[in-house]
Order: sequence, then C-alpha cells, then structure tokens
Amino acid sequence: MRYIRVGAGSAYWGDMLDPAVELAEKGDVQYLGFDHLAELTMAILQRMKRRDASKGYIPDIVPWMKALLPTTSRKGIKILTNAGGANPVQAGLEVIKVARDLKLTGFKVGVVEGDDILHRLDDIRAQGWRFTNLDTGEEDIDSIHDRIVSANVYIGADELIRALEQGADVVVAGRCSDNALYVAPIMHEFGWQFDHPAYVDKIASAITVGHIVECTLGCTGGMSNLWPIVKDSHRIGFPIAEVYENGDAVITKVEGSGGLVCEWTVKEHLLYEVHDPSSYIMPDGIADFTTLTLMEESPNRVRVRGVKGKTRPDTLKVCIGYEDGFIGEGVIFFPWPQALDKARWAEKWLKERIDYMGVQPKELRIDYVGINMLAGGTARWPENGNGMNEVGLRVTARTSTYREADAIRREVTHLWLAGPIGTSFGVPFTPRPVVALWPTLVPREMVKTTSFVMEVM
Amino acid sequence: MKVRVPLAELAFTRSGDKGDRCNVGLMAKCPTCYETLKREVTPERVKAFFKDMVKGQVHIYPMDNIHSLEVILDNALEGGATRTLRFDQTGKSMGCVLLRMEIEVEEGELQAAREAEKAIMEKYRDW
Repeated sequence: MRYIRVGAGSAYWGDMLDPAVELAEKGDVQYLGFDHLAELTMAILQRMKRRDASKGYIPDIVPWMKALLPTTSRKGIKILTNAGGANPVQAGLEVIKVARDLKLTGFKVGVVEGDDILHRLDDIRAQGWRFTNLDTGEEDIDSIHDRIVSANVYIGADELIRALEQGADVVVAGRCSDNALYVAPIMHEFGWQFDHPAYVDKIASAITVGHIVECTLGCTGGMSNLWPIVKDSHRIGFPIAEVYENGDAVITKVEGSGGLVCEWTVKEHLLYEVHDPSSYIMPDGIADFTTLTLMEESPNRVRVRGVKGKTRPDTLKVCIGYEDGFIGEGVIFFPWPQALDKARWAEKWLKERIDYMGVQPKELRIDYVGINMLAGGTARWPENGNGMNEVGLRVTARTSTYREADAIRREVTHLWLAGPIGTSFGVPFTPRPVVALWPTLVPREMVKTTSFVMEVM
Repeated sequence: MKVRVPLAELAFTRSGDKGDRCNVGLMAKCPTCYETLKREVTPERVKAFFKDMVKGQVHIYPMDNIHSLEVILDNALEGGATRTLRFDQTGKSMGCVLLRMEIEVEEGELQAAREAEKAIMEKYRDW
C-alpha cells in the first residue's frame, strides 16, 4: 500500500537542530514539519515587527534553512514551517535568499497569509460577531481593546496544501495550527478532500498523527516516565510518521538514533495537552482518540489504527494577546545552618519591606525552592528544615507598572546585604512585560487565507 | 488486605497546559491498574488533593482503549503560561504532583502494578 514518511523537525522556538538535519539526511522522509510557535510567541513577534517592519518572523529560519536546504533540495524533501510568525512574507524572502545563495535555480517558496486578524477585529465585530473569552466567559474584548497587541487565528491546512500543489519546496506560514503542518502533506499526497464523508476518518487519522509527532521528542523518549531506560538520549531521534493511504500510520524514528518509540512513549504524547480525548478539535477536523488502537510492530515502530472523526468545525480558534502589566522577580538562597528559618525570616522581611516602601503589587508569590515551588499547597514540609543544606526563596510579583515590578525586584536584591548570614544570590532578573491571552473563536468564513509562491530565478 | 499508596505506584503521567487549564494524563501500568484508577481517581478527590492550586473544576475523561485517564484541571495555572507567577508556567510538573495523591488498593493490585512496571522497564531496555 502507498505510504509517505513525514518527519517532525521542531517543536518550539529553540528546539535542537541536529536531529532535524539527521531526519533530512537519514530519515527517508518526503516531508518535514517545523513548529516554532507557542501561544505567547505571536505577541513577541508582533512586538518585534512593530519595532522593525522587516522582522517578526522566527529568526532561526535562516540558520535552519542553511543547514537543511542542501540536503532537502537534493533529495526533493519538502519543508512546511510556521516560522513566518507575524511576518510570513519576510520569512519567505529570507528562505529565497538562502536558496539563491545555494544557487538553487527554480527553487520555490510558498507563503501562507491570513491568520493575522489584528487589524480586522473591529470589522469582524461590526458584522455582529463577539470575541467571547473561552476561559472566563467575558462576552467581548471591550475591557482589553486598547491593550491588544496580537490576534491570530489557528488556521488549517487548506492554503498549505494549495502551496504544495503549486510546487512549493518550502511552505512558510504564520499561526497555522502545529497540526496542519502534518495534515497538509498527508492530504496533499493522498488527495483527501475536506467535507467529504469518505475522508473524514482519514483526516482525523492525519490529525492524530500530527498530534503525536508535532512535539518532536515528546513521542520518542523525551519528557518520559521511562527516562531511566531511554538509550542515548543525548542524540535522541526526532519522530517520523509513516502514513498509509488507508489512514493507518506507524510512528518511528531514524534508524540508529537515540531515544525510544514504544506503546508508552506514544501514549504519553497522545495524552499531552488534550482536553476531551473523544473530541480533539483542530481546524482541519475533529479526532476521537478513544477509538484508536496502538500496536508495537517491532522495536521503535508503533502502529496507530482505527481513528474516527468528525468534519471540521465552523469556527476557528483565535488567540488575542494583550498587555497586562509587568512581572518583577528575584531569587535568593540560604545555606545551612538554619537554612529554612533564614528563608522564613527573609519572607517576613520582604513583605514588611514592600509594605513599608508603599509598593502595592497586584499579586505577590513566594516559593520555597526545593520545598513547595512545584508542589504548592500539596507540599510536605521537611521535618528538619534547618538541617537542609540550602533553601531558596523565589519572589515574584505582578504589578501595573514597570516601576513597581522593578521596586519588588530591587527589594529582593536588598536582602543581599540585609539578609541573614550566608545569603546568596545570582544574576538579577529584569522586570518583564506581561502579554496575557484572550482565547476566543471566529467563524471560519470570516477568515480569508491566501497563498502565493516565489521562485529563485 | 487494602493498603494506601501514592498514585505513582499504579500510573505514569504527562501534563501540560492550554491557557489557564492544566491537563494531566494518567496511564495505568497494567489493565487491573486501570480499573483501580477509574475507581479511585475521581474529580472530587483530585480537587481536594490539589487544595488551593486548582481554583476551578476537575473533569476526568476515561480512555478505555489505552487504559488512561485525561484529568482536566480548570483555572490551575494562576492565569496561564503568559501571565502566571508560577515557576512551572506550563504545568509540566502537575502530573508528578498528582502522582503523590494517596489511593486505596488491594495488595494484589499493588503487586500487579509493581510487576507490570518491572516488565515494562525490562522490555524496552534493549530497544
């Protein structure tokens, strides 16, 4: 039966490059997907673009393409990436430059636009749509209207497919769903159509495959419960989905690479960042993860079969980013003897000091590093805290202004000298602006996506 | 005879975030463990275990096909990754935190879970 092999080359902005190069060189893949965007990233990129109109894409796209194109162009491997971020056109031009430097005449770069609706929000509202906050239930964006910095729709595979149809060797998108980077090549190769009953389950299968591999080593032994026995993790392999025309898929990795693909590592990622597993909603369809079976075929090969699904939703998810004050942060450590008592003393000192200086944070949080920073209210406090080698105190505060965030940060640094004997500190942080997210929906028909293809002459 | 053990004896985990919502996957180490998980891990108990860490509701979705539970914790990340004061902004540790919740199991169930884990670690050591 016909199949294609699709590799996952990036899970986030800053992921490893060498396993992606390994996929291109040794993975026997026809397509590579690269996800570089998290929920917050679009707001950061919009800010970069506002400062400099020629920026706003993921800068890694340049070194990544330099490392990959010599191999992918020779082998005919196609690349799909959302590194376009807030500026897919410029990112596309950057890829063209790299291809031109490599003298790849005839090399084609597709660009997908239309996910950015920052300047269309009021227009869409004027047509009667309300951007209700999915988390809080707030009915519309009036309360944040003046502070909005980004608004991006998680678009689906349609325009990516169109770019592939036009012969693109690299497809650069902005905020397409991570998932669409994998659904697009699969649908393109097998000719599966949206909104057609024969393909609904198959597309759901492609969505499931995309979900399993999109976080790269999330399914090959990274973040794993089996960490003590995962081999050669320092040269861990990124995943490959071998997708068959009937919708079956085998999850695997480059032969001989480190890491592990087994029933458990695939399950680990199936469960990751999912809400109702019977209804995993993506722009390209809805997958029911409760219908599938997993089967280990041989070492590092797991077959996924039997995914059922529903046709794609009428609304698309939108993330609206808005400015929401600042965070000031500081960390200090206290050594034995009486490490825990010293930390407690410092907490009291800080609270009194903040009050004394008249600083009013909107929220103040104090973590005891090594005791409750992760475990929070469930933490079991040590019976002999004063016998501990060291205890850290992490202080964070949310404030309305930069000045207040800086004031909190400074008070932590004042403990360097004002604190108990042995008080230690590292390099101080600078206050950071907060971009909060307003998750909401928009009707599919109100989002106009487009694509075009450029060519190296 | 029944014994009280941490959930870690019976389940593996992975957790993450979507906005202010944290999702915790629990994978039963063996088929018997899955039945125990379904019985012992209830929204009420999970909510009580997390105390003030989970401000919203807890929902649990069973996945009989892969012997797993998807546990959804609403308003559990102090506002979500971009604005939270939590060090663990994206809830990666929340699964491990939940593994410390105590559940009541038959000694036989505990034994089965321990043997299952041992077999899993042995099986993949040479892959």
